[in-house]
Amino acid sequence: MERRGPEPNARSRGLSARGLTIAVVAPLAAAVGSIPLSSGGPASAIAVFMLAIVIAAVAGGLWSGLIAAILSSLAVPMLFSTPRFTLQFDGAEDVVTAVVFLAVAIVVGLLVGGASDERARAARREREARLLGYLSSKLLTGEVPDRVLDDFAFVLLDPFALASCEITVELDGQQLHAFAARPEVTVGGPQAILPLVVGAVAFGTVVVERPAGSHAFTADELLLLEAAAKQAAAALDRARLDARARMAQLDAETNQLRAAMFSSVTHDLRTPLTSIKAGVTSLLDPSVHYDVEQQRELLTTILEETDRLNRLVGNILDLSKIRAGALIPTRQTAAIDEITEAVVARLAPRLSEVKIRTNLGDDLPEVQADPMQIDQVLTNLIENAARYSPEGGIIDVMVGAIDHKVEVRVQDRGPGIAPEERERVFEAFYRGRTNPETPGSGLGLAIVKAIVVAHGGSIRIEGTPGGGAAVIVEIPVEEDAAE
Amino acid sequence: MSLVLVVDDEPQIRRALRTSLEAHGWEVATVGTGEEGVVGAAEIAPDLLLLDLGLPDLDGTEVIRRIRAFSQVPVIVLSVREGQPDKVAALDAGADDYVTKPFAMEELLARVRAALRRAQTEEPTPAVLNFGGLEVDLARRLVSRDGEPVHLTPTEYGLLEALVSNPGKLLTHQWLLRKVWGQGYGTETTYLRTYIRALRKKLGDDAQAPALIVTEPGVGYRWVAELAT
Repeated sequence: MERRGPEPNARSRGLSARGLTIAVVAPLAAAVGSIPLSSGGPASAIAVFMLAIVIAAVAGGLWSGLIAAILSSLAVPMLFSTPRFTLQFDGAEDVVTAVVFLAVAIVVGLLVGGASDERARAARREREARLLGYLSSKLLTGEVPDRVLDDFAFVLLDPFALASCEITVELDGQQLHAFAARPEVTVGGPQAILPLVVGAVAFGTVVVERPAGSHAFTADELLLLEAAAKQAAAALDRARLDARARMAQLDAETNQLRAAMFSSVTHDLRTPLTSIKAGVTSLLDPSVHYDVEQQRELLTTILEETDRLNRLVGNILDLSKIRAGALIPTRQTAAIDEITEAVVARLAPRLSEVKIRTNLGDDLPEVQADPMQIDQVLTNLIENAARYSPEGGIIDVMVGAIDHKVEVRVQDRGPGIAPEERERVFEAFYRGRTNPETPGSGLGLAIVKAIVVAHGGSIRIEGTPGGGAAVIVEIPVEEDAAE
Repeated sequence: MSLVLVVDDEPQIRRALRTSLEAHGWEVATVGTGEEGVVGAAEIAPDLLLLDLGLPDLDGTEVIRRIRAFSQVPVIVLSVREGQPDKVAALDAGADDYVTKPFAMEELLARVRAALRRAQTEEPTPAVLNFGGLEVDLARRLVSRDGEPVHLTPTEYGLLEALVSNPGKLLTHQWLLRKVWGQGYGTETTYLRTYIRALRKKLGDDAQAPALIVTEPGVGYRWVAELAT
């Protein structure tokens, strides 16, 4: 957003050009208007001039009214003395007229001025209330404090007619700094320094400065500035406490996750190891003779369990990479349809108990992505779908392009995922309640989601008309979208 | 009898490989460091090198580079799944193929056999390659499918020639681009993808159940069709 300083106050209290115009035009109009009345004596003309003075005072303020009064005082004798149109005071009568004109101008001007001052004050109060409200809501949203402070500094400029506002804060060892200034104004005017204090702890200052040559801060303004600073301080303090609370919560979650991971991993690692060790020791046992069939069976178990162990170790490695923030895609120009074909080519022979059906759009845009990570996403999703598929079930893999995104949809004919579980299945170690015994570490989808998010994409689960589950992944086509 | 040099720092893996390879009739030498691997490649002149990428002393890519300075011995890289970028770097440095740890022995043996066959064919490549229904006449640059001529553009033919001349070998994007398009190329994977797609279509190969060209996402392509006997 381009930040322009507020415009100089148009309604200054002195005599504006508009006020001067009214002050001159009103008596002039009165003079012209009263010419036809002049035969009837000055009384009716004086009434017309009075009207002009009141109009000038109401519309232009005190000064405008006074000028109109003076001009009228001069005009009346000119119009009604003989010879006409010469400036000749007829003694006491004209002086009385002039005094009455001036008195009317002053009384009306002050009344009107007072009322407009009152209006201005009310408007300012309202603006101030809005300002304070805006500040507190801004500061409480938990937005990045830096940005909030910038807003805060900027928002103070207009209501206090400041040239610049600078805020320095030290929060939990973190230095924050914000500065806002009106560009077309010379600094060097009166300054005020306000501390940001919560309880007895000062953690920053607000330095405000007016343009050179402006009047000093009034006591009222200083009070208001202090109130604003107090509000900012309270909000910053609250933001700090929130951040601490969030951190503590995150810690607790991490610990919980670690505990879950530890017990799950220990169990998941031991199970295949147990089968492998049992199989191998059986085969090595010299006291038993296994026939070829039995040997094959034992060896097949060992092989399957080894693969399971390998997958688990891979998943745990990926998960620790995610936790360490090290899952960074090595991006290159990649074609998701080509990767899909390669994944299907690799998985189809292995997943012979299901039928994988593909529907790849024509002329799909290429994406900037890590082909091996996208491969992993597709592999995990298809394997997952196969795990929940009935014997001979069809898995549909669809790749299409929608609004600068490539959409991958993997749909199965399994039991589906209940709507309330569709978010949770992406959590590490979460296993659907529907089929808790289905083998799997509960990590696959968490890894898929982490990869998709690292690519700036999104993932969600929907139901299918047939009652199965559809996982939808969207990867943005533009490279910047993910950065 | 072929001699295989195994370079791996894990004694258990050296033992497992020695046992299996010897059982298949190859002679096996093993070393545990990259330095020994380079020296071994020079001194015992093996027919094939199995190189672990996670050696304690030297980067696997560096070992390949040093060996390539004096020898064209086929090198098959053994790497963990997480080491994917290293794998591509090793292939670009001159490795012939890779196998992901943990591997099934039959997969490793297939790769070893293919690499040895490529390196040891004494008779020159026949002028006409017959892959079942597909015939590639390298001398006359003609391709036919089930007896019907297949019309390829010069680039498509160049790509096919590069593939069939390296059967079973994983050819990286970079290698193919330089080979077919020229030295100035290396990152234009979009071209390569377009031509592979066109070639598959003309040769009647299904990318989802490939009989000719297999895609290795992010790495390259492999010609998998066997010569008909």
